[in-house]
Amino acid sequence: MSIVNQKIGGEIQTIASSLLESGEVAAFLGYTKGSLPGMMRPYVARDSGEAGNLSWSSFCVINLANYLPALLRSVEPPRRPNEPPPEGQLPKVGVVATGCWSRNMVVQVQENQIDRSRVVIVGVSSRGMVDRRKVERLVGNREITAIEEEDNVLIVRGKGFEETINRWDAVRDNCKTCLHPDPVIYDELAGGLSGDRQIPDRFHEVEEIEALSVDERWKWFQEEISSCLRCYACRNVCPLCYCPTCFVDDSRPQWVGKSTDEVDTALFHILRAYHCAGRCTDCGSCESACPMGIRMRLFTKKLQKDVIELYGFEPGLEADAPLPLSTYKVDDPEDFIITAGKKGDQK
Amino acid sequence: MEQVTNAEWEPRIIAFLCNWCSYAGADLAGVSRYQYPPSIRIVRVPCSGRVSANMILDALRAGADGVLVSGCHPGDCHYISGNLYARRRFALLERLLEFVGVEPGRISFSWVSASEGEQFAKVVEEVTERVKRLGPARRLVKEISSCPS
Amino acid sequence: MSRPKGSVLVVGGGIAGVQAALDLADSGFYVHLVEKSSAIGGTMSQLDKTFPTNDCSACILSPKLVEAGRHLNINLLTLTDVLDVQGGPGSFNVRVRKNPRYVDPDKCIACGTCAEKCPKKVPSEFDLGLGTRKAIYLRYPQAVPLKYAIDPEACIYLKKPGRCGFCKKVCPSGAINFDDKPEEFNLEVGSVILSLGFRPFDPSGLDYTGYATFKNVVTSMEFERLLSPSGPCMGHMERPSDHKEPRKIAWLQCIGSRDINRACHGYCSSVCCMYAIKQAVIAREHSGSGQLSSSIFFMDMRTHGKGFEAYFDRAMKEGVNFHRARVHTILPAADDNLLLRYSGEDGGIREEEFDMVVLSVGLETDPEVMKLCHDLGIELDHDNFVSTSLFAPVASSRPGIFVCGALGEPKDIPQSVMEASAAACGAGGILHSSRWTETRKKEFPPERNVYAEPPRIGVFVCSCGINIASVVDVEEVTEYAKTLPGVVFAQNNLFTCSQDTINQMSETVKRERLNRVVVASCTPRTHEPLFQETLREAGINKFLFEMANIRDQDSWVHQKWPHEATNKAKDLVRMAVAKVRGDEPLPYNHVPVTRKALVIGAGVAGMVSALSLADQGFPVCLVERKDHLGGHGRKFYRTWQGNPMQEYLEELMERVQSHPKIDVELGTTIDEVEGSVGQFRTRLSNGLEVAHGVAIVAVGAESFKPRYGPWNYLYGKNPNVHTLLELDQRFIADDNALRGLHEAVFIHCVGSRVPERPYCSRVCCTHAIDQALRLKELNPDMDIFMLYRDIRTYGKREYIYQEAREKGIVFIRYDLDNLPNVREKDGKIMVEVIDPILERQIRMRPDLLVLASAVRPRDDVGELSRFFKCAMTEEGFLLEAHMKLRPVDFATDGVYLAGLCHYPKPVEETIAQAQAAASRATLVLSRDAVLSESITAVVNSMKCTGCAVCAMVCAYSAVTFDRNSGKAVVDTGLCKGCGACVAGCRSDAITIRNLGNEQIMAAVEAAMEE
Repeated sequence: MSIVNQKIGGEIQTIASSLLESGEVAAFLGYTKGSLPGMMRPYVARDSGEAGNLSWSSFCVINLANYLPALLRSVEPPRRPNEPPPEGQLPKVGVVATGCWSRNMVVQVQENQIDRSRVVIVGVSSRGMVDRRKVERLVGNREITAIEEEDNVLIVRGKGFEETINRWDAVRDNCKTCLHPDPVIYDELAGGLSGDRQIPDRFHEVEEIEALSVDERWKWFQEEISSCLRCYACRNVCPLCYCPTCFVDDSRPQWVGKSTDEVDTALFHILRAYHCAGRCTDCGSCESACPMGIRMRLFTKKLQKDVIELYGFEPGLEADAPLPLSTYKVDDPEDFIITAGKKGDQK
Repeated sequence: MEQVTNAEWEPRIIAFLCNWCSYAGADLAGVSRYQYPPSIRIVRVPCSGRVSANMILDALRAGADGVLVSGCHPGDCHYISGNLYARRRFALLERLLEFVGVEPGRISFSWVSASEGEQFAKVVEEVTERVKRLGPARRLVKEISSCPS
Repeated sequence: MSRPKGSVLVVGGGIAGVQAALDLADSGFYVHLVEKSSAIGGTMSQLDKTFPTNDCSACILSPKLVEAGRHLNINLLTLTDVLDVQGGPGSFNVRVRKNPRYVDPDKCIACGTCAEKCPKKVPSEFDLGLGTRKAIYLRYPQAVPLKYAIDPEACIYLKKPGRCGFCKKVCPSGAINFDDKPEEFNLEVGSVILSLGFRPFDPSGLDYTGYATFKNVVTSMEFERLLSPSGPCMGHMERPSDHKEPRKIAWLQCIGSRDINRACHGYCSSVCCMYAIKQAVIAREHSGSGQLSSSIFFMDMRTHGKGFEAYFDRAMKEGVNFHRARVHTILPAADDNLLLRYSGEDGGIREEEFDMVVLSVGLETDPEVMKLCHDLGIELDHDNFVSTSLFAPVASSRPGIFVCGALGEPKDIPQSVMEASAAACGAGGILHSSRWTETRKKEFPPERNVYAEPPRIGVFVCSCGINIASVVDVEEVTEYAKTLPGVVFAQNNLFTCSQDTINQMSETVKRERLNRVVVASCTPRTHEPLFQETLREAGINKFLFEMANIRDQDSWVHQKWPHEATNKAKDLVRMAVAKVRGDEPLPYNHVPVTRKALVIGAGVAGMVSALSLADQGFPVCLVERKDHLGGHGRKFYRTWQGNPMQEYLEELMERVQSHPKIDVELGTTIDEVEGSVGQFRTRLSNGLEVAHGVAIVAVGAESFKPRYGPWNYLYGKNPNVHTLLELDQRFIADDNALRGLHEAVFIHCVGSRVPERPYCSRVCCTHAIDQALRLKELNPDMDIFMLYRDIRTYGKREYIYQEAREKGIVFIRYDLDNLPNVREKDGKIMVEVIDPILERQIRMRPDLLVLASAVRPRDDVGELSRFFKCAMTEEGFLLEAHMKLRPVDFATDGVYLAGLCHYPKPVEETIAQAQAAASRATLVLSRDAVLSESITAVVNSMKCTGCAVCAMVCAYSAVTFDRNSGKAVVDTGLCKGCGACVAGCRSDAITIRNLGNEQIMAAVEAAMEE
C-alpha cells in the first residue's frame, strides 16, 4: 500500500466531499480505480457520497484537463449555441491537477476554453505516473492479474509469479524529464509540494533522434508511425485538441486524406504535433492512450525544446505570457532565413 | 536515397510571395532582366503572415520538390507585423520537418524587399540549387507514382 | 467673389507634392500635379533606406506614386514647367509649358527595348552621375509614370535627324514620336501648393573637403545611390576610384550647413546627423566582411526626432565611432586613401586615414526654384527658403499659395509629409464650397448576378508586343488555356492593356457571357486595377478576376529557356484558372459617414484641428478634460522668433468659442468608444453621446518636474530654480524681480536623453536659448551659462544659437559621466561643472538656475489609446501608422493625432501637424460613405473554438473574441485582409474572402499537375 498516494487520495476525497456537500461545486473530476490491474479511470463525483469513490495512484495517466471544458458546459443550464451565457455566477466544478495538468489549465484559460473562476483546483504534486507498458516489459511481458503499489516499489502478480519492481523504473518518460511536478495554479492542495526538479538532460530523447542523419530520421519516423491505425486516441485525450472540426475530419479543405496512407498518416502526426507547438506541457496522455505504443510524444517534445531554445517559453508557467505563436519579438532568431550570398548567410 | 543527377531535371518549386515586398521584388527582377531558373511557380499572397504550415505541407503533398516562402524584411511589413508571426511559425515548422527526416532545403524562407530584384533572382538560384542537390521530392509526396523516377 | 475653383495646382512631384495631391484629390478637389522631370518621386526615390526604421525607401514610396499616377482626379503633368501665376485665392490662372517627351505615353509599354538599342550613354542624373543611362531612359525602375522619355540634349536623332533613330525602329508599339513639340496652356485653379523641395549643397567650392580633387570623397546623396540596390553598383558598396569595397569610411557633418564663412549657410540642415548615422549603420550591414569601420565627425549630434536618439544609441553600441571634432584638412594618402586632419574638442590636432569620405551635405534651395518663387511673387528669407510665419507655417507671403516640405526650411520626410497635408488643409479652407465640383466620378453598369452560373472563364493571353511573345509561345498557351476546365474562351492579344483591346474585352465578356476572367500578361501590381475596371464596365464583379504574371516573372527572367518559359506560362495560367474558379463576387463595402469630428484635447493642436475642420463646414465636438481652453500653450511666453504666444492663444480661443460649428465640452473626458471609421459613437464623462465619423487625438504631454531623483538640481528646494515653463510664466507676468539679475545658469537635457527617458525632447535647446536671450534683453550685462550636451537648434533655429554666442552667453558641454554638480550654500545656488575644453572645473553662483526639463507623455495616454485601438511607443507617446509616410494617421482608420502626444515639438510644428490631421480627417468627412476593404476575414463560427489566436495576431484589432458567443468576430471595417489570422487558426475557422485555404490549395495543386 502506497502511504503517500493513500494520503493524497484521502485528502482528495475529503476536499471533494466538502466542496460537493457545501454546494461550492456541482461536480468533482478526479480518478477512480479501473477494472483492470494498474488501471485508473477519470471519474466525476456529483455528490459527497460519490466522492468516496475518488482515488489516487501512480496510474492516473490521462490528463484531466481534457474533460474540463465539457464538464463545465455540462453543469451550465442548457442554451442555444450562440445564446449568451446567463447573468451571474455559473456553477463551478472541482478538479484534481498535477503539474502538467495545471499547466494545461493555464493554457486553457489563456485560450478561453475554461473560466478560471468556475474551477476549484485541487493540486497534487506528481511523483511521476507509471507506464503500464514498462511494467509489462519489466515482468517479461507475462500476463498481469494484479499490481499492488507501495511508495517506491510495485508488486506485480500474475499466473504463477510475483515480482517486485522499482517504481521509478516503470515511470513514464515524460514524467522522468519533468521539471515542474507541482501544480502552477491551485485552490487547495492534497499532499505536499515537492519543488522544481533539476534535470540536466531533459531532452535526451529528442537529442538522440537529432543526432541521426536525415535519412535515418526519416526511417525512424516512418517506422514509428507505421503501426498507426488513425484511431485518433492521441488526439482525443489531448487537452489541447478542442477544435469542433479537427483538420483530419475536414473535407473543405481536405488537408490530409482519411485512409492509413503513409503520407497522410505522416502529415497527420506532423500537423497534430505542430498544433501543439508552444502549448503542449508534455503530459504524456497521447502516448499513454495509444493502443499501438507509438511514441508521438517525441514530436511534441521536439517542438517544446525548440520553443524553449528560440523563444525562452514554457507553456502554462505564466498566465500572463502570450503563447509563443500569438506573439513575436522584433529580434527573434532568424538564422534559418536564407540570404543568398548576402552578409549573415548561415547555410 | 537515390540521387537524380540528371542535369536536365528542373525541379518544381512553389513560392509563396507576399504582395508588397517579395512579389514586387520578383517583378523588379523581371524589369531588370535578371535571369533565374524556370523552376518556381509563384503564388501571390497578401503577406507572409498568411502562409500557414498547412499550406507548405500541402504544397509538398501535392508534389512540390521545394517550397519557398518570402516576405518583407522585419520592420517593412505592409501589415505591421505579419512577417514576424510568420517567422516564428516557419522556424518551428522547419525544425520539426527536419526532425522527422524531411531533407533540409526542401522548404526555404527568405526576406526580399521590393527593391531587391537581383536578390530575388539569387534567392531563386540558391533555392533551386539546393533542391536540385536533393533530387525529386519523395517524402510527404502523396502520389509517388506520378513522380519521375 | 463668385464661387472658387474646385481645383488645385501642386508644383513639385516629390513626396510632399504627391502627398498634398493625394489628400486633395481624395477630399473632393481636382489636382494638377506638375513635375519638371520625367517622373514623380523626388529625392525620396533616390534614397536607399530611411531613418529611423530602416525602411526601404522605394518600397514605401512606390504605392503612393502609383496611386497618384492612377488617380482619376490627379492630372499628372511631367516634364512641365510653371511659367506664370495670375490671380488670387479662389481663382488663379496658371501658365504652364509641357516639354516634349518624344515618347507617346499612351503607347509606351515600358518594355525597355528602346533603351537597350539606344547607342548613346550619358551620366544618369538619378545616380548623380555615378552611373550612366541612355538617351532614351526611365528615370528609375519604379518610375511613375512608367514611361520612357528621350533626353533631347543627348539624343543623336534629335540633334541630327536622319542619324540613329534605332529606338523608333525597335519600339514594338510605335510609341516614339520625334516630332513631339512643347505645348503651352493655361490652368484655372483655386489654390497653389509649392513643394519644390531642395537640392543638396554642392561642396565643389569648399577646397578643404577635397570633393573636387579626390575621387573617394563623395556626397551623402552620392553615397545613398552607392548603397541602393538599384544604384550604380547594385547595392555592393564600392568606392569610386577602384570599385573596391571600402573598409573604413568617415562622414563629415555640417558640409554647407552651420557655416556662414565658407558656405554662406548659417542654418542647420536638420536631417544630416540622422542620415549620416543611418548610412554608417547600413554601410556596415552592406559590408561583405561586416568589418567596416565607420566614423562620424560632428559638432553637435542632432537626433531630435521621434526614435532618433534610440537610433543614435544603437549605432554607438553597434560600433559606429563618433568624433566630436571638425575636420579641417583632407590630404591624399596611399592607395587612393584619404588622410583626415582634425582638431578634437580639447584643441589637439589628430590624423586618421580612411578609404573613403562621405560629405554630409546640407540642403539648399535650387536657383531655378528661387527664380520661380521670385516670378510668382513669393517672399524668400535671407537663406532663400520660402518665408512663413510660425503661426501659419505653410502659408506663403502670397495669399492662396501654400508651401510644404524642404522649400520652407530643411526638414525630414515625416515633417514634409505632415506639411503637405497641412498645405492641402490650407487649400481646402479656401475652396471647400467648391468641393466635388470639378472632380470626375466613374460610373459602372449594374453587375450581373453570377452566383447560380457554372464558371464560364475567359482567358486573355498577352503578347506584350514581343516582350512575352519573343520567349513564350503565346499561341500554344492560348490553345492550352482552352482545354482547362471551366474555360469557354481564350484569346491572344498583342497588347491586352491597349484601349482598343480593353474595349474589345468588355464586349467579349458580354457576348460570351463570361463570369470569370484571367489575363495572362504582366504584373497585377500595376495592371490589375485596369482589368478589374474593365470587368465592372462589362457588368461583372471585379473580384472575379485573376492575373497570370507571364512577363515580369516569366518571359523576362527566362529569356534563354523559351520551352521552359512556355511550360511555366501554361502552369501559371492553369493556376490562375484554378484560383479564379473559386472566386466569388465580393461586396464593395461602404461605411456611411457621420460628418462630424471629435477632437480630444483643446490645446493649440486640438483648437487648430477643430478650427481647420469647422472652417470647412464640418461640425466638431471639442473635448477638454480641464475646465478651460489653451492647454500647455497658456504657459508659453513667446516663440523663438519672438511672437507673443498669449496673444495668439487668446485669438485662437476666441475663435473656437465663437465658432458656430464647434461644441466645446470642458471638464470632460472619454468614457467609452464604439464603432470604427465613419461610424464612431463616443460616450463622454458628462453623459453626452457623440456620433462622429473621425477623431483627432491631441491630448498633449506634460513637463517633467524633477522633484526627486538624479535630475533634481535643487528643484522644489530653492526658490530660484525653475523649469523653462516656470520661467516663461514669470516672463508673461513681467515679473520685475527678473530685472537686476546678475548670473543665470541653464542646465539642458534634464531628464531627457537619460536611461529612463531615452529620447530628446526636441524643443528645450531652442526654448532655453531664447529665454537666455530674453534675460539678456532685460539685463544686458548679465552672465549666462548654458550647460548642454548637444545644442539642437535645428533648421533656422540655429540663428538664435549664433546670436546667443555673439551676445556673450557661454556654452559649456557636459556629459552623463560628468554631470553638473548643484549645491546650496547659505541659500545661494552653487553650480560646478567640468569644462571639457579647459579641462578644469568651473564654479558658478547664479541667482537663477533654469532646468530645461523633458517633455514627457501623459500617464493616461494608454487608456485613451485603448479606446481607439492605437499603439504607443515604448516611451509612452502615441504611435502613428507609419513613422515616415503616415505621420498623423493611426493604424486605426479615421483616427488621427496631433501635437505633443505624438512627440515633443515646437508650436509651429504642432500647428502644421494639427492642420495635417484636419486634412487627413477631411478625406473621410468630405464623403457620404467610405470604402472599406472587400477582401476581408470571415469567421465560420461552427468551426471556431474561441481560442482567440486570430485576435492576438491581428495588427488592426479587427478580429476580437466575443465573450457572449465564445467565438471570434470580425469587424469588416477594420480588416485589411492580410490573413495573419487565417494562418494562425488551427481550426480553419477563419478565412479571407477569395483567398481561402481551399483556393490557395487549388492553385498549388494546379501548379503540380502536368
